[in-house]
Amino acid sequence: MNENEVLVNEEREAEDNLEIRRITKDNAVFFSTPGGFIGMELDGKRYERVQVFRTFPFTAPEVYISVREPDWKAREIGLIENLNDLEKQTRERIEIQLNRRYFTPKIQRILDVKMEYGYAYFDVVTDRGPCKFTIPMSGSVARLSETRLIITDIDQNRFEVADLERLTSQELRKLDLFI
Amino acid sequence: MKLNFALPEKLMQHLSPSGGEEVIYCLPCDLDDDGNYQKSWYVAVTGKRLALLAPAGVLREYPIRDITDLRCDTMTGGGVLRAETAQGSQFVARFSMKYITRYAYLARGGLLLARGEPGRVESRERERVCEKCGRVMPGTNQCPRCNGKMAGFRRFWRLCKPFSLSLAVVSLFMLAGSGASLLIQYVQRLFIDDVLKPKTGTPGQVGAFFGVMLALTLSIIILNVIRYYYSVKLGARISMSLRERLYVKIQQLSLSFIQSRRPGELMNRVVSDTNEIRAFMENVFAGMFSTMVTMLGALVIMLAMNWKMTLLSVVFVPVVLVITRIWRKKIHRMFSMQWRKKDKLSNQLQDVISGMRVVKTFGKEIEETQRFDDLASQFYSVMRKNERFWATFWPMLTFLMGCGSYVVVLAGGGAVLGGGLTVGQLTQFMAYAGMLYGPLGWIANLPRSLMRMATCLDRVYDILDETTELYEAETPAEVVVKGHIALDDIVFGYKSYEPVLEHISMEVKKGEMIGLVGPSGAGKSTLINLIMRLYDVDQGKIMVDGKDIKELDPACYHNQMGVVLQETFLFSGTIFNNIRFSKPDATLEEVIAAAKSANAHDFICRLPDGYDTYVGEHGYKISGGERQRIAIARALLNDPKLLILDEATSNLDTESEYQIQRALERLTKGRTTFAIAHRLSTLKNADRLFVIDNHRIIESGTHNELIEKKGMYYRLVKAQLEMAKVAKTKEAAG
Repeated sequence: MNENEVLVNEEREAEDNLEIRRITKDNAVFFSTPGGFIGMELDGKRYERVQVFRTFPFTAPEVYISVREPDWKAREIGLIENLNDLEKQTRERIEIQLNRRYFTPKIQRILDVKMEYGYAYFDVVTDRGPCKFTIPMSGSVARLSETRLIITDIDQNRFEVADLERLTSQELRKLDLFI
Repeated sequence: MKLNFALPEKLMQHLSPSGGEEVIYCLPCDLDDDGNYQKSWYVAVTGKRLALLAPAGVLREYPIRDITDLRCDTMTGGGVLRAETAQGSQFVARFSMKYITRYAYLARGGLLLARGEPGRVESRERERVCEKCGRVMPGTNQCPRCNGKMAGFRRFWRLCKPFSLSLAVVSLFMLAGSGASLLIQYVQRLFIDDVLKPKTGTPGQVGAFFGVMLALTLSIIILNVIRYYYSVKLGARISMSLRERLYVKIQQLSLSFIQSRRPGELMNRVVSDTNEIRAFMENVFAGMFSTMVTMLGALVIMLAMNWKMTLLSVVFVPVVLVITRIWRKKIHRMFSMQWRKKDKLSNQLQDVISGMRVVKTFGKEIEETQRFDDLASQFYSVMRKNERFWATFWPMLTFLMGCGSYVVVLAGGGAVLGGGLTVGQLTQFMAYAGMLYGPLGWIANLPRSLMRMATCLDRVYDILDETTELYEAETPAEVVVKGHIALDDIVFGYKSYEPVLEHISMEVKKGEMIGLVGPSGAGKSTLINLIMRLYDVDQGKIMVDGKDIKELDPACYHNQMGVVLQETFLFSGTIFNNIRFSKPDATLEEVIAAAKSANAHDFICRLPDGYDTYVGEHGYKISGGERQRIAIARALLNDPKLLILDEATSNLDTESEYQIQRALERLTKGRTTFAIAHRLSTLKNADRLFVIDNHRIIESGTHNELIEKKGMYYRLVKAQLEMAKVAKTKEAAG
């Protein structure tokens, strides 16, 4: 590859990024790999493995799913406008990968919150099973809406309180200090 | 960090290692494939296999030799361990963020095994959470809670030992003070019973008692003043000596230790932690023993006087202790809530004021006002609730805390009337009861103060006890460096799971100028750090004039090295002192000569204060180019045999670059030089160039050789020329 080609290539890549390339059930086929990932064939081009990303993980987890190349640069191949437009089997395959990428257990019950020296120790039950985690006393609870919280612990694990109103008043009181 | 957790017996049976197979890395795997929490799943790497184990059996396993790459992929809120094999990518396991750093190490370690390379990965990172109690560690290696009270006490003793004389003096005055305050009550009793009550006392007696009591009171005051004076002195001296020791130690420690911590953290340890220890010595330690001795003395005397009444009044002690504890917790909670609301309010205010232009241009004043009103009324209601609570319960609490004395009055009054007790005795008794109840609130807080002190001590000793990481030769050689450098197959990474340099070899002759080229992050600066011996290599050897760099005396070696970096750091002080930094005994003339060769003399002379110009944080602002020239003068002054130039000419305007270029040419003549530059034109004088990419040397040779080769260097040069052309045409067009 000579020098000019390199430059031309870079330019083309920069422009490619401007275009929204749609991935639909008509132009793409997703397949499971034996190793537990997914690959894709798009307009005859085969990708042995692709990564999928949510573009609105909190507010719209099912739309505009970004399909990307497997290496660390993760260049975008295209966007899936809505998961529900895909065939059921394809959607399930993609959802497995998405759930693997976005791990945010939902807190269902708060058993105990203990505070000590600038940290709060939570003992909770989530939709993924019982769990204990620790957060610093300040700056670890983000409010997505009036009733929805994201709690980030010291290891950067995330926990979601989907609806504050579904907690009991005792549980709410334990959370009081953080909201 | 621990990388080899003990595999439970049952899982070990599933794994059934055979023929000398040993578990080398083993980590808990807290999630199953669907993302449900699992308690006893593990990922194990042995010399032969990589396996995912569950109580049900081996879920996945791969022969280690089949793995071509092993990666820990970071996801949102968790991670995935992925193995590349001939059959493609393999999903091995997923885990939460709790274990992700460990998995990064495991992936690197497993890959070394898979490639059959020697070396085990170790993590020098700290555990963030205590394994035993699950508490967050306050930045120390051992949990101050689980470490036991004895360890804390021993540390404290180690700290005070050099000051044991002062300590003895303080304790003596404490005892004397307590004794006097107990005695004064006894004298008062005698005064009431023997002088006032029988009404037989003479004015002389009254005067005598007055004298004794005045003397006692005065002596208590004096004793306390002296005691306080000594404890303040002791605290200040202890914290000063700690600060000095910390400062010396931090200078000794290797860069990797310093860089593994935020600068603020180290500053905190030198400044705040030592300050906290001083405050403890002054406020808590000085009062602790005297209060305890006084309380104990009061209790003993009370028991001796009337044990029934003593018991009656002591009954309330635990009650008061419990109430104070609950009260404190409640108050803490209430007021931190109030504080948070206030914080939110001022944040909102700050947001709106600093974003006023945006608010106004979008016409959002009314919405913003509404939001502020909401927050303000929330703050108001919390504050009102808190104040009402305080006003209602505080008087009740004080009443409860005083209950012991009321019981004493009731029972004691009865006893006096019944003749079992004299008025003086009752007064004395009540005073002692007051001594017992008074400091209870303070005592309830004592465990907290002690814990804080222990934590501070831990943090301080954590640094003091740190061993220096660089290898120390038994008899470091102080040699005159000639400048022949050889790198023999070196491997290095700041973290052992992330190699920055792999298998680098080169030989540099005395006086040669070497240019290092490559994209940022390729490892050029790291290579230079190794040659400067700020770090030790993980594998391989660096030889200086045929001697292993590790056997040289570091101070002596550094003295013969000149360094010019991209960002020159000038210390607060004069230009003269900054140049002389490399050779403190240089004469004025030597400094001027160095400045002249560095093309710095002229601009320095033009400054109002000449060489005496004060630079640094609050000093005279000099430009980047001027800084660089001062740095070159500094490097020239001690006539180094080895020269390091790390991006010495970036961020400069063309004129000063030319000046610096000329100064550098003078500087590098006849000296072994390693230079890094993004602008490749800077390196045109280099004898040889090494192109580093992806942790390895991919090309080497002279400028012409590399251009002819049409490899990476050629591409880089072309690209820079193109860029320059584009910039020029744009300039012409604009």
